[in-house]
Amino acid sequence: MAIFIGKRLISLVLSLIAASLVVFFVIEVIPGDPASFMLGLNASPETVEALRQQMGLNLPLWERYFNWAGGLLRWEFGTSYTYKVPVSDLVSDRIWISLPLALYALALSTLIAFPVGILAASKRNSPADVGIMGATQLGIAVPNFWFAMLLVLAFAISLRWFSAGGFPGWEEGFFAGMKALTLPAIALALPQASILARVMRSSLLDTLSEDYIRTARAKGLSRKQTLWRHALRNALIPVLTIIGLQFSFLLAGAIIIENVFFLPGLGRLVFQGITQRDLIVVKSVVMLLVFAVIVVTFVVDIAYGIADPRLRGQRR
Amino acid sequence: MSLLKVKDLSLKIGDSKILSDIDLEVDKGEILGVIGESGSGKSMTALSIMQLLPEGARTAGSVQLDGAELLEKSEADMCALRGNDMGMIFQEPMSALNPVKTIGEQVAETALVHGGVSRAEAGEIARQTLDRVELPASQFPLTRYPHELSGGQRQRVVIAMAIALRPRLLIADEPTTALDVTTQAQILTLLRRLVEEDGMGLMLITHDLAVVADMADHIAIMQKGVVVEAGETLSVFRHMRHPYSKALFEASSHQPKRAPGREVKKDNVLKVSGVVRDYPGQRISLFKKPKPFRAVDGVSFAISKRENVGLVGESGCGKSTLTRAILGLEAVQGGKIELFDRPVMPGMASALRAGVQVVFQDPYGSFNPRWKVERLVAEPFHLLATPPADRRARVAEALKDVGMEPADMDKYIHEFSGGQRQRIAIARALVLRPDLIVLDEAVSALDVSIRAQILDLLAELSDRLGLSYLFISHDLSVVRAITDRVLVMKQGKIVEEGKSEEVFNNPQHPYTKELIGATPIIETALRMREERQIT
Repeated sequence: MAIFIGKRLISLVLSLIAASLVVFFVIEVIPGDPASFMLGLNASPETVEALRQQMGLNLPLWERYFNWAGGLLRWEFGTSYTYKVPVSDLVSDRIWISLPLALYALALSTLIAFPVGILAASKRNSPADVGIMGATQLGIAVPNFWFAMLLVLAFAISLRWFSAGGFPGWEEGFFAGMKALTLPAIALALPQASILARVMRSSLLDTLSEDYIRTARAKGLSRKQTLWRHALRNALIPVLTIIGLQFSFLLAGAIIIENVFFLPGLGRLVFQGITQRDLIVVKSVVMLLVFAVIVVTFVVDIAYGIADPRLRGQRR
Repeated sequence: MSLLKVKDLSLKIGDSKILSDIDLEVDKGEILGVIGESGSGKSMTALSIMQLLPEGARTAGSVQLDGAELLEKSEADMCALRGNDMGMIFQEPMSALNPVKTIGEQVAETALVHGGVSRAEAGEIARQTLDRVELPASQFPLTRYPHELSGGQRQRVVIAMAIALRPRLLIADEPTTALDVTTQAQILTLLRRLVEEDGMGLMLITHDLAVVADMADHIAIMQKGVVVEAGETLSVFRHMRHPYSKALFEASSHQPKRAPGREVKKDNVLKVSGVVRDYPGQRISLFKKPKPFRAVDGVSFAISKRENVGLVGESGCGKSTLTRAILGLEAVQGGKIELFDRPVMPGMASALRAGVQVVFQDPYGSFNPRWKVERLVAEPFHLLATPPADRRARVAEALKDVGMEPADMDKYIHEFSGGQRQRIAIARALVLRPDLIVLDEAVSALDVSIRAQILDLLAELSDRLGLSYLFISHDLSVVRAITDRVLVMKQGKIVEEGKSEEVFNNPQHPYTKELIGATPIIETALRMREERQIT
């Protein structure tokens, strides 16, 4: 297992280096001169030159890359051109909304999907299964921003259980913060849970038709026992893959939901950075998101290793 | 009273009748051999007894275990019986074990699920049972995972799971079909020992007449869901009455007729000299080069025109690796392979490739299911510089050669039976009129009666068209029936080579002797039975 984790760690570091190179080249090199891109067509040559100086664009390419990458390691991302504050401050504020929101939504999605998927698989072709399949179909089809607005209408405007948007800050206490994130998390979790439940169901059904399930039945296990003791862990591998993909999406792709609920999250920060041509912000936040995705992939890989002994490699 | 008594058992799945009026009996300490080809209903009979049938299956009649009627029992009662009073083992040892649980957990589970023991006691039972199936603690601790074991060892674990609680009845459904002959002999010896030690009844399901002739006290021959003949083993074999039994018996020791005066010319079609194939080994250190694994180690032989050469060996001996090298699919690391004195390698000229064709084991998996037979059979034409204008006529001819109708070329592959598919695979190999056909386990997946027909076809084609064969198989009786010369391969080396009759009648190398000794032969087994009766 130690060798397995070691190998995964090496691949994590290599992916990070490769990803940082790609991000750097796409944002800094491909647009030509980032400074004149950021300032637009009407900028005077003097302002452009000043910004070039400020961004260090006159340095050789490799030096620029190492300055940027070194800064990333020290949590220094430079100063935002539009906000005139350090990008690290912008990120720090927002990451404490985006990360809890993503985790919250993921937890909800998993908590809904596992029982539902298992129920549907264990009672295949029953009315419960048909109902669940229909409901998840709907859950996938409904756009999440529209569902978010329905939630606001029902729980914020009519019932007044939750506020319609905004975030009070974690200073107000853990529960106040979680309460503010609840409706967005539900809106995000619903389609994810629908997908996850369907994957869980089909993966379980595949596993239940395996030979070793028949062997277990011949030992005297009931259908239910074979499902819990033998099928579930084997069925988990594709489910883990989907969970990993969903987390990455929830972290970076929550932008529409963040807009609906006026949450100052990372998604909105990137969006604003792009519309304001603030390449300094875009570059660093994109790299941060890439980092998160790679770490999640690493965690999923380790989870594979725990779920499936065959991946841990041969013992000698 | 007999241990297991099946009376008038019939089974329907949906509207199709699977079994009708099955009568079987197994006594304590007795082995009942159930024989039949695919689709005969022998596995379904076993699953009916265990009540592990697929959804929508309906049984009628009576199945009694020690006088208790099983067909009337509730699912909960059956769960209590399965694993405790009746165990079952299956054909595929590779997939019959849960890959994510240790062998200890899986054997212990049989004891745990039937209650009355603590986790530690269940572990103790697992250890004892694994010892009983000859998996000692020193090499096979309970913490091993299935993927760390070979096929034969996995089958032992499956047996351990079934016998952990010393059931009264054990059902073994093709327990050795997927195993090598020497492993098969070991597993069969183990099963016989367990039957003797525990006084358990064993229902041994197989398609292999030689296995039951050796093992079973009584046999039942099944065809299309009906028992056509049953009785004491020796008397059934010696006085077969039913035409199907006779046909089955004839087919399993079938010897194809060869053309009279057939002679092998001494001109080499294929010449393999000192071939070495290495696979990159597993990397242990970042800095040391991994030690390569030598799959084929200095193999030399030649095949002449019209000659049928057999290559036998157990799984992992390198015969498939050698085949791929001969087909020019992979480069060799030493020695050379020549076809008509021209070197064989990846990237060789298409015209040379056209001279050697191949037929694989799985008649379904080697066809694209979305193509019609015409396109499937015509596929090798892309090796020619100019595709023939009379493509359909040539395909029709190849189909006629293998005993199919030209009209079959407009059908899809799923419309044919296994034997017909293998005929189409042979037609595809024939369509370019090659000089050499490599038959890689080409009849291994077929039922005995179909196998006999395909062997006849292969013999006839070789005689009529002057084809040479390289016939690769783990089944010694088949190789003996069709080949002129045989090569015995072990751990990448040819350990014995010679005329088939001579090698089989008078093996020289200890490994060849072991292989031949492990192969069950009907006549030998029956004669031993007769001797035992006299004394």
